[in-house]
Amino acid sequence: MERIHYDNLQETLYYEVMDNGLRVYVLPKPGFQKTYATFATKYGSVDNHFKVEGAAEVRVPDGIAHFLEHKMFEEPEGDIFAKFASNGASANAFTSFDQTVYLFSATDHIHENLETLIDFVQNPYFTDQNVEKEKGIIGQEINMYQDNPDWRVYFGLIEAMFKVHPVHIDIAGTVESIGTITKEDLYTCYNAFYHPSNMLLFVVGGVDPEETMNLIRSNQARKSYDQQGKIERIFDPEPTEVAEKRRESRLAVSLPKCLFGFKEKETGLSGEEQLRRDLTTKLMMDLLFGASTELYQKLYEDDLISDSFGHEYNSSPEYAFSAVGGDTKDPDALLARIREEVDKLKASGFREDDFERARKKKMGGYLRMLNSPENIAHEFTRYQFRGADLFKVLPVYESITLEEVNRRLQEHVDWNQLAVSIVVSP
Amino acid sequence: MTKTEFEHGTAGGMRIHVLPTRRFKTFAISLYAGSPLAEDTVTTTALTPFVLRRGTVSYPETRAFRERLEQLYGAGFGFDIYKRGDYQIVHFRMDTINDSFVNSPESLLSSSFAFLGEAFTEPVLENGAFRKEYVQTERDTVRKKLESIVNDKIRYAAERCIEVMCKDEPYRLHPLGERKDLEGITPDGLYQAYRKWLDESVLDLYVVGDTTLDEVKKLVEEHFKLDRTQTKDYKPSVTRAAARDTQTVIEQLDINQGKLNMGLRSTITYGDDEYAAALLYNGILGGYPHSKLFVNVREKASLAYYASSRYDGLKGIATIQSGIEVQNFDKAVDIIRKQLDDMAQGAITDIEMSQTKAMIRNVIKEMQDSAFEMIAYDFNRQLSGKERTPDELLDQVDRMSADDVKQAASAFSLDTIYFLKGQKEE
Repeated sequence: MERIHYDNLQETLYYEVMDNGLRVYVLPKPGFQKTYATFATKYGSVDNHFKVEGAAEVRVPDGIAHFLEHKMFEEPEGDIFAKFASNGASANAFTSFDQTVYLFSATDHIHENLETLIDFVQNPYFTDQNVEKEKGIIGQEINMYQDNPDWRVYFGLIEAMFKVHPVHIDIAGTVESIGTITKEDLYTCYNAFYHPSNMLLFVVGGVDPEETMNLIRSNQARKSYDQQGKIERIFDPEPTEVAEKRRESRLAVSLPKCLFGFKEKETGLSGEEQLRRDLTTKLMMDLLFGASTELYQKLYEDDLISDSFGHEYNSSPEYAFSAVGGDTKDPDALLARIREEVDKLKASGFREDDFERARKKKMGGYLRMLNSPENIAHEFTRYQFRGADLFKVLPVYESITLEEVNRRLQEHVDWNQLAVSIVVSP
Repeated sequence: MTKTEFEHGTAGGMRIHVLPTRRFKTFAISLYAGSPLAEDTVTTTALTPFVLRRGTVSYPETRAFRERLEQLYGAGFGFDIYKRGDYQIVHFRMDTINDSFVNSPESLLSSSFAFLGEAFTEPVLENGAFRKEYVQTERDTVRKKLESIVNDKIRYAAERCIEVMCKDEPYRLHPLGERKDLEGITPDGLYQAYRKWLDESVLDLYVVGDTTLDEVKKLVEEHFKLDRTQTKDYKPSVTRAAARDTQTVIEQLDINQGKLNMGLRSTITYGDDEYAAALLYNGILGGYPHSKLFVNVREKASLAYYASSRYDGLKGIATIQSGIEVQNFDKAVDIIRKQLDDMAQGAITDIEMSQTKAMIRNVIKEMQDSAFEMIAYDFNRQLSGKERTPDELLDQVDRMSADDVKQAASAFSLDTIYFLKGQKEE
């Protein structure tokens, strides 16, 4: 077991790789009642075409990673929620573009709950009957998202940007695509992506690191895994340019929703390089569109944006894009104004004092995030899967320069890479 | 055992509650201003914090106001407006980094109090009233927020259900006020309403972090310019049983999935000895994934993705919510009614009892890891006048029998069934 102390954060992290390849991290939080644990596989909705060393290349139906997540909760003896409930644990799971995460939080019976979490995820149980039953439930989940304008406008933007890359496919799939899923498909995906060497277990809270690590070590020693071959994720080449400049969909809304963003031209970064670009871009976006900027205030005074106006940057080694926007009475006027003002900033660059303030804000936001065990576990895992360390964010922020941020502004904010998504009432 | 009890005092006409602790990386500050829900004040009270966040005497321009927050390492500042019992609560929050994590030349706690105190008591004025421009813009903002409720169909249906159910009492009012009243609000009228609200509302100020009651009292006296000497108290709301047979209301909107909501009246509220039994009633019925609603509506009948219940002990209302296919309305209502009947007849297993107790126990204990949740729990005591520490509540929940829950079930009666469905004819 390795011990890593982060003095500036007053945190100590414990780390060990199990014999079967599972990576385990324990972060004790003295004084905390709760323990929060996530068991994650680097497998999400984008992994729909792959080849495991020694096996055939496969393409699987859209939405299968999420479907698999639902089905993991069923065990031969029944629903796993009941077992967690008996030990007072609140359990859940979620699927994103590139990971699936199973989790619980509890204040008692931590060892039992931890074993339950590990065991149910490592014990798939799919039958023709339970697979069919789930189609009705997930069908309703898909319908629920169809009624949600924020989801529709967000996904519309990704669909407009990406032509080939599966990030543009809805995480839950469609009613049609999940209709074709069989238990055999689920086992194929399970066997490819749920090998311990593709997974990460994170435990944070009022726990003893030594005891926790021992428990996990002996749990894993009881199970036998063959060596996993290399997983090759197959992505057909994605063109640099956006698939569509503009995409509109219709749904009852009080005001149109308008989201726009830029598709990153250069992908393929990983590790610290990617972390640095990610943080620099987020800082740059905040300097452009944050609530204290002149642009934000002008647009707000002119009734072109509301409190819903926000921005984000989403990046992985294979795809990266920004998303900016919110409710507006006039999407075209908003876009025109933004283009005009952003071009002025591109010509002048950001100011030193604005840059320093934005940097402080980001550092404070990061430290506040560390109050939450949930956020730590989620973010840490996400960073690890992308080859970066969450606890090394502060020094990166401290070393980013104004020149870098200005350069990022020129690179990322390229109007040729712009896509727009709009939701309006029918 | 970690210390979780607040120290209480008064300063400047406010009740002050402080929990000194070093567990968090931040200072959490909450200021609650409560006033009775009433038609003639609900809209001005709702609009007030929106105008207050635009500028103060020291930072009259909104940009400068927001830049100040960024200088405080991106201190979190925001407000929520909601109903608690028959009160309208305006809740300001600040979340500031503890200085020890950053090289700050100023005390961030003291600076945060200076900021919050001024935002609350010293807004920028022109001609002895609020700035006209700010009032006009924020009227639009609140109007847009009220109009946008319909965008989130799940929330819209939940709020319509409450409106329909409570149409003859103040609780029907939306915490953001009434759209029709916004137009007539003037800068002067709003300022007068604000002064009255400052004088008459019940004020509670909370701090969780590395500080003391004495330090907070001094900061309050220094930075809050209030003309009050006396603190004020909440009066518990009066509950009512369903006076009529269950009403069914069906409405239409352009949506894919039907939203089914039900409202139950309960004569048990937070201050009652039966409160623990009511918590168990809700937990067994629909609070968790092992509960009757989730198991029967979702897992067994495959009708929905979500099916749950919530209990509001301050108002004495429980609600049920689920998203279903429109043609499954009767089927879903029958299944839900069957669960309510089972509860009333005491069809509650030992396992349901023990699992639900374990889950409630977990919720109460987990709360103690979050500064703002601890604050919210203690605030219930101010609202209800009932002192019940987390440990006492844990103990009361533990002592409940299935018979106690059956007794509590007789205090719940189904008042309203509300269904929102699509406009297409099936």
